Amino acid sequence: MVWQREDKFAYEMFTEKHKMILVFFALLFILISSRIFYLQIVKGNHYKRISEQQRMYNTHERAPRGIIYSDNGSTMVGNDFSYVALFYPFEQQETPSDETIEQLSAILKRDIKPNIDRSWRYGRVVKLAENLTMEEMFKIQEKKLVLSGISVVKEPKRVYPFAEPNSHVTGYTGEIRADEIERLSEKGYKMGDYIGRGGVEQQYDEYLQGVDGGWQLEVNAKGHQTKAFKYVPPEIGGSIQLTISQNLQNAAYDALKNSATGRGAAVVLDTKTGAVKALVSSPGFDANKAGTRDFLKYLKDKKLPLFNRALQALYPPGSVFKIITFVAGLEVLNIDPKAAYYCTGSFELGDRWYTCWLKTGHGNVNLISALAQSCNTYFYELGLKLGVRNIGKYAADFHIGEKTDIDFPNEKKGFIPTPEWKKSRTKMSWLQGDTVIFSIGQGALDVTPLQMAAMISAVANRGVYYRPYIVDNIVNIKGEKMYGHTVETKSAVELSDKTWSLLHKSLIETVENGTGRRSKLPGIKVAGKTGTAENPQKVDHAWFVTYAPADNPEIAIAVIVEHGGGGGLNAVPVARKIYEAYFGLEPQEEPDAQAKR
Amino acid sequence: MIHEKSFFHRFITGVDIWLFAALAALVSIGVFAVYSASFNYGVSSKYITVQTAAFLLGLVCMLATASFNYQYYKQFDKVIYALSLILLVSVLIFGVKVNGAKRWIDLGPLSFQPVEITKLVYILVIASFLDKNWRNIGKPSALAYTFAILMGHFCLIMMQPAFSSTLAYFLVTLVLLYASGAEPFYLLCISLFCGLTVGIPLFIEFLKLQEFVMNPVSLAGHFVNFVQGNVIGIFYAAVAVVVLLFAVWWFLWKLKTKISIIYPVLLGFAVMFGCVASISVEKTLKDYQRKRMVVFLYPETDSRGAGYNVIQSKIAIGSGKVFGKGFLKGTQTQLGFLPEQHTDFIFSVIGEEGGWVFSQAVIVLYFIFIWRALVISREARDRYGSLVAIGIAAMFAFYALINISMVAGLMPVAGVPLLFLSYGGSSMVSSMIAAGILFSIHMRRYTYY
Repeated sequence: MVWQREDKFAYEMFTEKHKMILVFFALLFILISSRIFYLQIVKGNHYKRISEQQRMYNTHERAPRGIIYSDNGSTMVGNDFSYVALFYPFEQQETPSDETIEQLSAILKRDIKPNIDRSWRYGRVVKLAENLTMEEMFKIQEKKLVLSGISVVKEPKRVYPFAEPNSHVTGYTGEIRADEIERLSEKGYKMGDYIGRGGVEQQYDEYLQGVDGGWQLEVNAKGHQTKAFKYVPPEIGGSIQLTISQNLQNAAYDALKNSATGRGAAVVLDTKTGAVKALVSSPGFDANKAGTRDFLKYLKDKKLPLFNRALQALYPPGSVFKIITFVAGLEVLNIDPKAAYYCTGSFELGDRWYTCWLKTGHGNVNLISALAQSCNTYFYELGLKLGVRNIGKYAADFHIGEKTDIDFPNEKKGFIPTPEWKKSRTKMSWLQGDTVIFSIGQGALDVTPLQMAAMISAVANRGVYYRPYIVDNIVNIKGEKMYGHTVETKSAVELSDKTWSLLHKSLIETVENGTGRRSKLPGIKVAGKTGTAENPQKVDHAWFVTYAPADNPEIAIAVIVEHGGGGGLNAVPVARKIYEAYFGLEPQEEPDAQAKR
Repeated sequence: MIHEKSFFHRFITGVDIWLFAALAALVSIGVFAVYSASFNYGVSSKYITVQTAAFLLGLVCMLATASFNYQYYKQFDKVIYALSLILLVSVLIFGVKVNGAKRWIDLGPLSFQPVEITKLVYILVIASFLDKNWRNIGKPSALAYTFAILMGHFCLIMMQPAFSSTLAYFLVTLVLLYASGAEPFYLLCISLFCGLTVGIPLFIEFLKLQEFVMNPVSLAGHFVNFVQGNVIGIFYAAVAVVVLLFAVWWFLWKLKTKISIIYPVLLGFAVMFGCVASISVEKTLKDYQRKRMVVFLYPETDSRGAGYNVIQSKIAIGSGKVFGKGFLKGTQTQLGFLPEQHTDFIFSVIGEEGGWVFSQAVIVLYFIFIWRALVISREARDRYGSLVAIGIAAMFAFYALINISMVAGLMPVAGVPLLFLSYGGSSMVSSMIAAGILFSIHMRRYTYY
């Protein structure tokens, strides 16, 4: 130490600065120490979790969906396993080469265009081809050396045995769409999941979804697999017991398919519980084809096979609605059912003429024969006397214009017009002419076939209105009950006994001697009402609502044949086929009857 | 007459044990870390062999420089400065291009980075200049000379290009100027000038990443749009600052606090020239370069690109928690998520596998090393020795601070190694030589040899 002594002043100045430099560095080192402390001790658990996340990779083995059974235990929707060619990124460093894809295309004789984005490394497995046959699978296995990184795995696939008849009951499944994920991600749905669309598949999707399984792997930064931790087997979803009778379902579908236009719907309800015994919309579709190119044809088909007419289509009820006018007349006006009325075939109101369907007129009719023969002029007269509000009240009592609350997605609720609605809609007052056509179920009135089935079922039950349901119970793989239906009623229709008796008598008369003669069955008394929903542009829709046996009702049926013309001619035979299936009768030559509405 | 035996005797007795112990501890932690980092490359024996060999070679060099009287560097300062310039020019001519930069000279079996040698030469030369001119150091001319010497190295290194290496050069120069008695105000002006030059483009880039820029109503949004819209915008801001400076000065003058007019004038110049220079920097830097320099603040905005290294490094350090995941058990390191793990990101490997205990230990050991270097500086027998020791201390300090800040997400990712720990022969040998120079100064603190 020399300069310290030689130049004391300079050295003191230097030590001043020297101290400052030491303090300066000390502060900076404390700063980085506290940063390290923050990262490792304050946020340690956070970063530990991220580091675990990015090294873990779960291979995904899709769980089979639950099985759907009919009332007698036959399978309505089952599972099969198909082979799928996948590209597993963690077995391969690069994206599949064009050569590999070409090879695979050649083996499968398909044009494969893998959908690989830039984030594939950390992303999911890339699906290259679906629905491989066993033969194709073996071919791929043989050439495994050439087809590097390609694996064939077993994937569950939905199988629908009676695909077309059951199509609208079961619905179908498809891969989840981006917009659905956004909506459903909270419920645990994710990319690549299959989701039910329409019918029970959609309504009970949460129960049907199983728990996916797979391998938990460790991967490195390049996406290579380095370790396997554990395997979790996938767990099948809950199995659903439906109230549907496959027998009735097939009979109803065949009958509708072979009807005049092949388009329409039929709903069969158990009058004692509200259980849906059959629910058919024709034309149906083949749910087995979901996800294939064939399925796209259904979207373009003008007959709308994907449209569930039984509870989504709205039609005017036509003469079926005369049941409502009938009970309103008895309850409100207490009219004499025996009082004679002379039908000339037309009805004058102001400067307009409203015609009866029978141009020559029915001649002398009373309340019962007017319903049995579906005489329009009688009900024009009655409707005018009642007024729109009285009819509307009884329609609402029968739960028309509201959803039946069946356990099915996208049910329509229909519509009962009111003077206020017309005023706000068209700025015109409700006219007597509107009441006239309302009383025979025309005009703005809209109902679904399911509502009509529930209505006639309530008629059969003397007012007890059961909420229709299709799923009886759901049981999971362990045998635990996940869901069970309890029979529910909605507010009952309160009518006097006299009214019920007269109505039942008239409905039986309709089948015995009136417009519904074609559904007359040997040994079983049937009650019903036909209807013809007028359709200004096209051919009328044919309706028939019915229940049997009339004395102790078991089932109620509503049938509509779109553009089928008269109800008596076209809708009634469909119901007859269903009855034959239900009661186990030999199909008979229809009793010769003249075409009736 | 110096005998071999007496040198070793003096070395053993005169060596600073603290310094040597810190050095040895850092190197051994580094060797383990490099082994772990290269383990997943499958060539761990190669890296560890090179690193150990470099350490042994460095040890020989250290003993050689320790035995060599450091005062000769001062006598031959012009010669060694010229030699260093030749070395830097030759790397530009004969250098090997790696990743678009010529930083390496290939000598058959050996290759080295000249900048690792020249950074030491620069400290020796600049210390010599400051020692010889210490009486004039308050004058601006001495500052100009100092920066002329700096520019010789600076420009040649920027031509490689190796931006990150020059950062430490600059900071070491400032510390040495301060230590040798330069006017702190001048140094403040210089720092301000440089800060504005680099800072304004980055600050604008930083503002652009903020959400409020999307909102044109906000003041900052206006500012960015204004500055982006025309270059004159920066000038308006600069002029406003200068006017403010003078206003404050005038106000203080009125309050009888007399400050020489030279201060606001110099500060004003620094601001104005800083802004002018910043425009040229703004123009030269490409969009992605600017983005890369600020992305460490929001690495998540570009998690697969520029932000990837920072994110993975922070995850590695953080996930080590208190005691680490264990040697060779770090998932970030062994599964290759951590980039450049055996070189620039070696600290993250230590943080992950050794936990807070080891990462804090490395910081403490570094601080011990710097503290001892500063003690050596205080006890040196002449001003030259003191300045050289301070320069070396500052160099190690800044390299460590920059490297650790960078891997901990406090600074933009710049290619600065962690001396003694990062894999690399050149930096290991040069660090050992630097330590040798410190020993040389320490051993000769009482006497001439």
